[in-house]
Amino acid sequence: MRLQPLLLQLERRPGPLRPQILAALREHGSPLRWAITAVHAPEAGPDAVVRLQVEAVVRV
Amino acid sequence: MNPANLAPPPGPAGAAMPTLLVLPTGIGCELGGYAGDALPAARLLAAASGCLITHPNVMNGASLYWSDPRIHYVEGSSLDRLAAAELALRPVRRHRIGLLFDAGIEEELRQRHLQVADGCRATLGLEIGPVAITDQPLDVRLSLGASGVSWGELGQPAALLRAGQRLRDAGATAIAVVARFPDDPDSAALAAYRQGSGVDALAGAEAVISHLLSLELGVPCAHAPALSPLPLDPLLDPRAAGEELGHTFLACVLVGLNRAPALIPSGVPAAPGDLSIEAVGAIVAPASALGGSAVLSCAERGIPVIAVQNPCLLQVDAAALGLEVLPASSYSEAAGLVLALREGISPSALRRPLPSLAQGVGELVQQA
Repeated sequence: MRLQPLLLQLERRPGPLRPQILAALREHGSPLRWAITAVHAPEAGPDAVVRLQVEAVVRV
Repeated sequence: MNPANLAPPPGPAGAAMPTLLVLPTGIGCELGGYAGDALPAARLLAAASGCLITHPNVMNGASLYWSDPRIHYVEGSSLDRLAAAELALRPVRRHRIGLLFDAGIEEELRQRHLQVADGCRATLGLEIGPVAITDQPLDVRLSLGASGVSWGELGQPAALLRAGQRLRDAGATAIAVVARFPDDPDSAALAAYRQGSGVDALAGAEAVISHLLSLELGVPCAHAPALSPLPLDPLLDPRAAGEELGHTFLACVLVGLNRAPALIPSGVPAAPGDLSIEAVGAIVAPASALGGSAVLSCAERGIPVIAVQNPCLLQVDAAALGLEVLPASSYSEAAGLVLALREGISPSALRRPLPSLAQGVGELVQQA
């Protein structure tokens, strides 16, 4: 086992945030510690995409 | 905030209302980013709620600590799992605390820590032992993330787990870990921290160590870094002063773990006195650091989130995440909101202007 630092940029989808983040982290390993450390929200519009910056450490 | 979206706090008015206090580690919070400098806020919130669940970053002041039976000392990942309904907390009379040393600690420094543990046995009556040393140095490295938040790396996680397993097999019901952290007495980051304007660079690696042990072994864990003494800094900020009193940061960890609640996985039958997320009436967190697991879990359950003005490195606030929160300008105000919730007083009744109910009637008619 080793611990892997991660930096992810996720597109926010409708619904609760936590399951979205955990699903994205599990593609890289078993989440150990994580947090949303920035939110990038463009000007409002029909195609506006909110991006979440997630920093984490996962077990691989 | 729309009060209709708040879950009513469980229990009768006036009864203790379990409340979570989260101050994320290593993000440079103005209050809580230093050596246990959130402890006064925790004591106030414990008095307001009657039952506060918080984590070592809040309670640990190196040689300084405060023991309050209303405060439950729960390592951060276990607090996250409590909020996610993955475990419950079971109060204990005391633990048998295993002491886990990194093999990378020099003999003399290890002796200093053993003497602190002996002092806690003799003076405070704590049950400490067995003691284990890892079979290889843990290789702790400090690092900052893209946001400037303290993270940290651990080169030998398996060695940590092997030593923890030995302690648990030998009867330890909680584990205090002491890992050798790199000395960097001349760094600009350390100077900034000691003078009250920087991030605690050690905090991220400390969290990684205690999260890993707690998750894998299922027992309360907390960490103290082993470091060489620092030269005197005449400009020392009072918030960092707790770390300058002795040779180790271990005493607060041992006191905190002594009565840390046992971790009961979901699915295990509940016992009287167990604390689960269903009993929690509020969570208190910095207003610009709401993107952690515990806050998001509570928000999803409709548990009131009290967002306290407490500047830090992050700008992840309620508006950015689309959360509804109860704002508070200070921890004093947060304690007032907790007391209001505990007493069954609607927080909206304490603010002005107080909108008329007639303003909401049209919305309801439209929704119908």
